[in-house]
Amino acid sequence: MRNLIPLAAIEVFVWLILLLSTFLISKVAFAISFGDATLIQRVATETARVAASGVIILIWLLVWKRVTDSYFWRTVSRRKATA
Amino acid sequence: MPEFFQLTGIVVVFVTTFLVTFILTPLVARTMRAHKIVGKDVHKVSKSEIPEMCGLAILLGLTIGTLSYVLLFPSAVRETAAFIGTLLIAGFIGFVDDLRPLSARIKPLLTAFACLPILLLGTYTPFPVIPLLGPVRLTIVYPVLLLPIAIAVTSNAVNMMDVMNGSMAGTVGIISLAVTAILFISGETTPAVLSAGLLAAMLAFYYFNRYPAKVFGGDTGSLGVGAALGALSILGRIEAVMIVALIPHIMNAFYGLASVRGLRERREIRQRPTMLLDDGKLEASAEKRAPITLTRLILAKGPLGEREIVQGMMFLTAVSSILAFLTYWITVVGKT
Repeated sequence: MRNLIPLAAIEVFVWLILLLSTFLISKVAFAISFGDATLIQRVATETARVAASGVIILIWLLVWKRVTDSYFWRTVSRRKATA
Repeated sequence: MPEFFQLTGIVVVFVTTFLVTFILTPLVARTMRAHKIVGKDVHKVSKSEIPEMCGLAILLGLTIGTLSYVLLFPSAVRETAAFIGTLLIAGFIGFVDDLRPLSARIKPLLTAFACLPILLLGTYTPFPVIPLLGPVRLTIVYPVLLLPIAIAVTSNAVNMMDVMNGSMAGTVGIISLAVTAILFISGETTPAVLSAGLLAAMLAFYYFNRYPAKVFGGDTGSLGVGAALGALSILGRIEAVMIVALIPHIMNAFYGLASVRGLRERREIRQRPTMLLDDGKLEASAEKRAPITLTRLILAKGPLGEREIVQGMMFLTAVSSILAFLTYWITVVGKT
C-alpha cells in the first residue's frame, strides 16, 4: 500500500485544484450575465456560464493529466535506472 | 419522513437486494455457461473461461429490492421509478454491447439516453449544489445538457474500470457506502435507500466476482451500475460530491482516452497498458503510445498480482470517498 501513497497524494492535489476551480467558476463563470428577462437571454446566460465552467474544468483535467504523466514516466525511468 | 422509517427502508432494501442478487448470480452464471456466453480471464496465465453478463443479477436484484421499498412507501414511487428506469436502460445498452459490441463513439451517446426516465418523471432539481458556491440556477442547460452528460460519464467511467476481478464491484461498493451515508445525513431519504440497495448489490456480486472471479458482470452490469451512480447524484443533488468520489474512475477513463487521443474500443488499441508475466504478475508497459490507465499507474513502481492491483484501486477509491465526505462538508458549510 505504501506504493500507492504518491497516487493518493495526486488525488488530494486534484481535489484541491477542483475546489480552486469551483472558486474560479463562482467568480468568473457565474459573473457572466446577459440578463434573464427573456428566454433567449436566459439560454445565452446559462450556455455562456456552462461553457466558461467547461473551460475551467478542462484546464483542471489537463493539470491533472500533466501531474499524473510526469509521476508515471519519472517512476518508470527511475525503476529502469535502478534495475 | 421520521428517521425510524428511513432506517426501516434502508434495511428492507439492503436485505432484499442482497439476497436476490446473491441467489441469482450463480443461476445467471449457470445459464450463461450453458449458452456459451463466456469471456477469457485475460489477466491469468491459464486464461480460463468465465460466464459473462452476470451483471443481469445486479439489475434484477436492484429492481426487486427497490420495488420492495415502493410497496412499503408508495410516496417514493417517482424517484424509484426514475432510478430503476435509468438502471435498466443503461443495462439494456450493456446487454446489446455484450452480445454485439457497439462502436466506442455510439456507446456513450446511447447511454446518455438512459437519463430519459429522470427527465420525463421530473425527478431532478436544476439547481446543482457547487462547493463554495451553493446552488446555481441552470433551469435550461441542466436537463438538456448536464443530465445526459452525467449519466453517460458515470456509466462509461465505471464500465472502463471493470477490467480486473472485483474492480467494478469493489470500487462502486465503497462509493455507494460513502454516498449512502452522505445522503442519509443530508436527509435525502429515497436516494439514501436506493444507494443502500446499490451497496447491497455490489457486496453480493463482489462475493462471486472477487479474485479469482467465478463470474463477470459484463457491460450489462457495469453500464447499469455506473448509470445508477449517476442517477443517485441527480436524485440526491450531490453532483459535485459524486465527481470527487469517482476521481479514480475519471482518472482511469480520461487518461486512457487522452493518451489514445479519442474514443476507441479496447479491441482497437494495439498497445496494451500492461503485460502478463510468466509468474502471473502484471507489469506496466513501457510503450510510449500505450494508454495510461489506472492499472498502469498502480504498476509504475513494479509488477503486482491482480489481487494487489484491485486492492490498490479500492484503496484509492476509499481516499476519494473520504474526499467526497469533505466536499459534502464544505458544501454544507458554504450553504450556512
